[in-house]
Amino acid sequence: MFFSAFVMAQKPYVDDKLLKRIEKKYNIFALKRFEYLQKTLDALRDKSDFEKLDGVNRFFNDVRYASDMKVYHKRDYWATPWEFLGKDMGDCEDYVISKYFALLYLGIESKKLFFTYVKSTRFRGAHMVLTYFKTPRSEPLVLDNNNFKIFPASKRKDLIPIYNFNGDSLYRVSKNGRGKKIKNKKSHKKWDELKLNMKRKKI
Amino acid sequence: MTFFKQIAIMLSLFLLIILSTVLALNFTTANQAIEERLYEDAKNTATSLSLSLGTANGDISIMSTMIDANFDSGNYLYISLLDVDDEILYERKSESEHIDVPEWFLHFVKLHAPLASANVSAGWSQVGILNVQSDLSYAYKQLYETFISLLASFGVLLFVGLVVLNTLLATALKPLKDIQLQAEALAKNKFIIQENIPKIKEFRDVVVGMNNMVAKVKAMFEKGNEELKKQKELEYTDQITKLKNRKYLIDKLPQYLKEDATSRGGIEMMIAISGVIEANDTIGYKKVDMLFGDIAKIFSQSAKGFDNSIVARMNGTEFGILLPECSNEEGLELAKKIRDDVSKVIEDAGLDKDITFVSIGLYPYNHRESISELLCMCDNALAKAKYNSSHIQLDEAKHTLEVMGKEGWRNVINKALQDDNFYLSLWKVVDTKEQKTDHNTITISMMMDDKTTYSYGQFMASAHQLNLGLKIYQHVIDMIFKKPPAVFADKICSLRLPYEYLVQDGTYKELMQLFEKYAKFISFELVLEIPEKFPKQNAHMMKLYKELFEKYGIKMGIFEFIGESEDYYYLQDLQPLYIKAEASYFLTQNDKSLASLRLITDAIGISLIATGVMDTKTLDELKQKDIYTVQGRVVEL
Repeated sequence: MFFSAFVMAQKPYVDDKLLKRIEKKYNIFALKRFEYLQKTLDALRDKSDFEKLDGVNRFFNDVRYASDMKVYHKRDYWATPWEFLGKDMGDCEDYVISKYFALLYLGIESKKLFFTYVKSTRFRGAHMVLTYFKTPRSEPLVLDNNNFKIFPASKRKDLIPIYNFNGDSLYRVSKNGRGKKIKNKKSHKKWDELKLNMKRKKI
Repeated sequence: MTFFKQIAIMLSLFLLIILSTVLALNFTTANQAIEERLYEDAKNTATSLSLSLGTANGDISIMSTMIDANFDSGNYLYISLLDVDDEILYERKSESEHIDVPEWFLHFVKLHAPLASANVSAGWSQVGILNVQSDLSYAYKQLYETFISLLASFGVLLFVGLVVLNTLLATALKPLKDIQLQAEALAKNKFIIQENIPKIKEFRDVVVGMNNMVAKVKAMFEKGNEELKKQKELEYTDQITKLKNRKYLIDKLPQYLKEDATSRGGIEMMIAISGVIEANDTIGYKKVDMLFGDIAKIFSQSAKGFDNSIVARMNGTEFGILLPECSNEEGLELAKKIRDDVSKVIEDAGLDKDITFVSIGLYPYNHRESISELLCMCDNALAKAKYNSSHIQLDEAKHTLEVMGKEGWRNVINKALQDDNFYLSLWKVVDTKEQKTDHNTITISMMMDDKTTYSYGQFMASAHQLNLGLKIYQHVIDMIFKKPPAVFADKICSLRLPYEYLVQDGTYKELMQLFEKYAKFISFELVLEIPEKFPKQNAHMMKLYKELFEKYGIKMGIFEFIGESEDYYYLQDLQPLYIKAEASYFLTQNDKSLASLRLITDAIGISLIATGVMDTKTLDELKQKDIYTVQGRVVEL
């Protein structure tokens, strides 16, 4: 157990091979950003869940906001963490995705993290935030790219929750009371597409 | 199994495997597509329903109602709502078991409806997970219909494929089929030349090679045929009168002077023309030759009334006329007519009929006499006739024929037929070169009781003369097929069929019935021997017999051969196993004749057998002529 944790701790968030590709595609500054991310994550490794959430939230909120149309010439695109930090810009889903995978790297359980579709009363539009549920029934903490600080959901009167989504939990759905589980590699169109891009190491 | 069949089966299997694989793949793809569709439907429902459930603010009763409404209005197998601890909050299952496809299809095809899930939330908090599964009955029906249409189209494809395959294969392998036919024909010594040379190189080389070989053998046969015809014409025909010559008469006489001759005898007439030198002096050689031609016509005309008669020019001035079944009275009357008619043409030629005239010696022969005895007796009669005022002399018969009277034989033979007293035994025909039995000839004897046995030679001539010969043959053939002696087993046994038996009405039909019923059960190889004159005189009938024999695997031999034919193509048609001729025939043939005959028989694989070989001296002489297979008393020595 200890040994495996040690090994895990040694494994970088982005491996060298991918870093080289990122440097080649973007520039040295992109590489530096990833090195800085690795340092940030390493520093957070032994901290509490909240400190991890806070550190990751602050790190990624430094990235500039830009619409998918501007960056990817698409109406809606879910970027991989490498694309997001490589380009150093993205929209709300891209922040959520990068935070989600960084937190998983830091050992936060995926079942505690949800992609939440919300309506922002401040910006009068659809928005997405990452929510953290300490337990399934607790009040979630909201990681928003518009706020460097993390607040409990009840403090975010400017956001109206619409829908919670956790791709990994859907993958893990087990069948209750209805024969054998049917293996299914799909759960959510955008999520599935993102997983594929992650697998292909899209940068 | 033929090569064609093997290839056809192989390719058909190949086609079947390919089509089945494609069918299976298509079906699997259809299956997967349907499962995919089931999932997509379920997923759409899960997502939209989960969003609706979010508006219920976690109120279970409202959420249940929403789920019920959805479940009842759509085709779902299962919908469940689980809380965050995976506990079921509410679920609905389809209770309809009816799926409208055959039982076997359900048994063999397992469709799975994938479970689609979506998160359900109420405001910021999680409610749980919604699971949706689409109903299978519609999917099964759709899959079944797809399966049937796939099966139908593949069935059609398979049928068309097999037809096309068969046609292509038949076309591609046609040259091979032709080669096979040619090879089969060649094995049977038949000469087929393929006109259509195949385009495929390997086939073409084989066909060209076989054509060359066939052409060579054919040429060999034709050369032999031409040679033999020429030889026979020179050998047997008198060039001036176009009558047969002395050699012909001598080669032919064994057929009349034999123990089982169908004719017991008749008159042999020997005619000499005197005063030829004077005639030559008076009217010249040319006119005398013409006169001889006219006289020959008178002889031929006179002999016409007697079946199987022979007219031959024995030498420059002597002629012989063999008249089977001719009585003394008929003979005398005919002799007088000949004398008068000839006398008239002599006068018409401007000659003196007292200087140039014919003398006729008549001798009543019987079938047990030897050739030399017969000729000697005729010469005696002729010598007397020359000094006789009428120039006609009928001598007394030397032998008295019958030991037993005609009626005596009739009774004995009828009794034997009735009581089944015939006994079949085998005589060996030996290949003296290889020192082995070539085959065995079947001989017939009558065993009346323990003491009295009549050999074939004793009773057969009388039987023929009493018209009982054919009945005996019917009886014997019947015996051979129905209850052959045990000694026949595993041997090659031959039986001579007399000309009269073969031409008799009903023989063909009787043989056919016998063969049909018994031929497949006989434990020996049967060779039926046909006299040479039969195919020559009954070509159509011979064709029928040949087909009949071939059908039942009965071989054929030729006996009483003297090569007296227009040509020898009939040998190629009949493909006899062997040709049997009297030893004397082979011994008196000149080398050219025999070489021509050999060319023919070698080309089509017929062996030559000498019959009536009585002593080792004759055997040695035959060996000098390259005839090694013999039949006769010498074999027993």
